[in-house]
Amino acid sequence: MTTVTPETEQQPTLSDADFHRFREYFYRRTGIQFTASKRYFVDKRVHACIRASGEQSFAAWFAALRLGLRPELVQQAINQLTVNETYFLREDYQFDSLLRSVLPRVLAARKRVGLADEPVRILSLPCSTGEEPYSIALRLLEEWPLIDDVDVELHAGDIDSAVLHHARQGVYGARSLQRVPEPWLRRHFTPLGEGHHQLSADIRAAVSFSQINVTDSDQMRGLHRFDVVFCRNMLIYFDEVSSRRAAENLYGALRPGGYLFLGHSESMSRISPIFTPCRLPEGLVYQRPSHGATA
Amino acid sequence: MALVRRPQTGGPESPPDPAVLLAALADADADRRRLAAVGLGGVAEAIPALLARLSVEDDPVARDAVLTTLAGYDRVDVAAELATHLRSEDAALRTAVVEALTAMPEGLVPLLPKLVVDPDHDVRILTAMILADLPSPAAVPWLVEMISADRHPNVVAAALDALLPVAGAEHVALLEHARDRFADDPFLRFTIDAALPALGGPR
Repeated sequence: MTTVTPETEQQPTLSDADFHRFREYFYRRTGIQFTASKRYFVDKRVHACIRASGEQSFAAWFAALRLGLRPELVQQAINQLTVNETYFLREDYQFDSLLRSVLPRVLAARKRVGLADEPVRILSLPCSTGEEPYSIALRLLEEWPLIDDVDVELHAGDIDSAVLHHARQGVYGARSLQRVPEPWLRRHFTPLGEGHHQLSADIRAAVSFSQINVTDSDQMRGLHRFDVVFCRNMLIYFDEVSSRRAAENLYGALRPGGYLFLGHSESMSRISPIFTPCRLPEGLVYQRPSHGATA
Repeated sequence: MALVRRPQTGGPESPPDPAVLLAALADADADRRRLAAVGLGGVAEAIPALLARLSVEDDPVARDAVLTTLAGYDRVDVAAELATHLRSEDAALRTAVVEALTAMPEGLVPLLPKLVVDPDHDVRILTAMILADLPSPAAVPWLVEMISADRHPNVVAAALDALLPVAGAEHVALLEHARDRFADDPFLRFTIDAALPALGGPR
């Protein structure tokens, strides 16, 4: 078993058996799977958790974690082992999926039921400091050929009022903008100096931001008839009941037949059976069945 | 551009009248029933009606909403009512109830002494499935108890499946004992023989 050493000493590595046991536990708890290539990262973050916990060894810390003796350890481990950084065009294969596969399906379904003239409604939740909804806006404006013919409403929400303020300001640093193509940067942002840029006022104005807790059914009742919802890398933070409640509320926010994007490490199948997995060329999305509460 | 702004949506709404929601639990439209069940979250007076609805609800999504709302009441009386459905003939209902009870550690743990010795071995298997994901320090000792004492190989196999992801060297003797008890069961032998090396047991 691994023994924790003071920070001044060389940091030990987890034994192979400890690494595998922790990896299995964490996967079962969060759905996040660490490959062998993440070993250094896991070792480092697990040792940070052990130090913070005050436990004297991996064995003692892991026992307290897995047996629920100290419930706060689970959240600490999740915080340490998930990367909260967000940036423009993150996991943009899902935006590829939106443009190439989902929106054509949404428009075709609209036409079939005589709703072709209604705007397409997209929700980003949680939107954090705005990178996700603005990335969607940029991809639509730059790459979706139908953007001049179809109205699109973009709504975004987060539980944190501070990040919503940041999102409405639309000011971002170089790290956040690293994946934005230079021509897009020139067309849609104004340089403010020291590597910061502000998104154009018209795009900022096109996104409606709201303070929303996805597990609050009274708040979420106001969100409905969305064609597409992005809810990435959030459900992994919830306990079982909250995850189920969030799934119910996301279901209610979608139109019948609407699409839900989760983070790449998340699985709705582990939370609730009410969505239908839909395998698209660019990856997996979840769909609210088309008719009634069920298909 | 065709990005269009609409007034903000969302934000707190006044909760609907619980009496209206209770009536809507029996609406002909499944989505209205689902919405009613979601809306009754936090309305403790609705628990009996939600439990009653569970027995007759035939729409899986509406049923899941009923279970999600009930799982929010992590109490032994609610868990006990849900646990009666573990012996349902409806496999989908049994599975849905397992998932709900997994989210109810406080309510479920007091029921475990009876569930792990239930005369119906299918109920005991479902109990092991619940214990696999139950966020409670009580889960492992009860799985150990099932592996030690249950006489049905499928129950022991289910309990092993639940225990192995968190098992350690301290469980080697338990697994060896189970292998001896079911020496004629090739599946259990294979499972245990495959698991022992990872636990520091004999190869």
